[in-house]
Amino acid sequence: MHSNNYTLFFVFIVTVVLGTMLSFTKDSVKDLQDQNLKADVQKTILRSLNFDESLLLTNESIEETFKISIDAKCVNVEGEIVDCNIEEVDIEKNENILPIYIRMDNDEVQGIALPIAGKGLWSTIFGYIALNPDTDSVLGIQFYKHGETPGLGGEVEKKWFTDNFVNHPLKLPNGEIQYIPKKIRDKSGKIVSIKVVKGGVDYSESNTSSIHQVDGISGATVTADGVTDFLLEDLLRYEKTLDKIRDYGTI
Amino acid sequence: MELFNSESKKIVSDPINVNNPISLQVLGICSALAVTIRLDQAIIMTLAVVFVLCSSNVILSLIRNYIPSRVRIVIMLSVIASLVSVVDELLKAYLYDMSKQLSVFVGLIITNCIIMGRAEAFALKHGPSKAFLDGLGNSMGYGLIIIIVSFFRELFGAGTITLPDGGAGYVLWSIPESWYAAGYENIGLLVLSPGAFIILGLVIWIQREFAGVEEDA
Repeated sequence: MHSNNYTLFFVFIVTVVLGTMLSFTKDSVKDLQDQNLKADVQKTILRSLNFDESLLLTNESIEETFKISIDAKCVNVEGEIVDCNIEEVDIEKNENILPIYIRMDNDEVQGIALPIAGKGLWSTIFGYIALNPDTDSVLGIQFYKHGETPGLGGEVEKKWFTDNFVNHPLKLPNGEIQYIPKKIRDKSGKIVSIKVVKGGVDYSESNTSSIHQVDGISGATVTADGVTDFLLEDLLRYEKTLDKIRDYGTI
Repeated sequence: MELFNSESKKIVSDPINVNNPISLQVLGICSALAVTIRLDQAIIMTLAVVFVLCSSNVILSLIRNYIPSRVRIVIMLSVIASLVSVVDELLKAYLYDMSKQLSVFVGLIITNCIIMGRAEAFALKHGPSKAFLDGLGNSMGYGLIIIIVSFFRELFGAGTITLPDGGAGYVLWSIPESWYAAGYENIGLLVLSPGAFIILGLVIWIQREFAGVEEDA
């Protein structure tokens, strides 16, 4: 039987040795991890803007594509451009410095990506929603960081869920079904956002707002409600900016 | 001690076959079900477990005579947790996509019963070289099963075979479009957890049949 002092001493030594080992490891790979994180955010933005996957294979090609095709700036709630260090803007806290990423092609807006973030069940969910130049129909939505339960709330990042936002089955008069993107504005042009519906969207004729609804995730109602809430809240902050882009084609 | 005598071989080969940690002792099932959706995930997970189990066995075996027995579980846990954290950090740095897919399951290696089990049952009672071989055998026994399960789950569930590479995985082979056109369909159930149970059950059955194990009635 070892004495109490020996036991305490032993535990102390083990803690110091293991702690040193861990901090040394973290220290030596921190830069690489930061690069990966940055590339991951850029990849999410590019994906939401519907860039071809072949451009997104390596960190280098992601950075290159981002540099060439994306016009990144900040706006305020009034829709005016403001100065900012876009990588350091805290989208959760900052109410009046709003990052916006515009996909430009021959000086024309091809798509607009906006950061979205908010509470799910366990964690803050981070992502980007991209809109077409009409600032109404969805071009894509991607989530890149969350701590939701894998298989339940964690499904928000999966393709089947994000595809919901761009595949609205529209019944044509001749009976065929055409897939169109979901819309964030109602007929009068007001932003109503998109609601994640528990159980699934009712596509019968009587549900006139099905174009503003997507299927929820079974077993993840709280996560889905969170997405519904922060999507509306975040889109409303960009209302004036989006109106400007719709009306004038630029900010 | 000779490293490659018959006893050493038995330490390595036993847990791969007749005393497999997953199929015989039914340990480590949580991760075996969770990370077997794709072959590349299972391979990386295997490498992570091989590293953690071999290192933890060797380290704990080296200090086994100095560990006060009252705090041995805490010490074992700290060593294992630190090693797992190292693996997690390295994956985030060098295999970012993979670390995102494996998500919490890398961290959960800490609670994998196989690792604590081998530390308590073997490493604290044997020398470092034997402990290393025991770690190697058990982690490869674990890896063998999850690689088999993930191979079948991915092949029949998603229709692909993916090997790990630096990014999102290299698709070695996928079921040709012509098969789908001819009416072939992927079995969606296999991608879900119940599918893992079914495949794992079949693997356990076949493996026990080969190993000649009989359960006491």
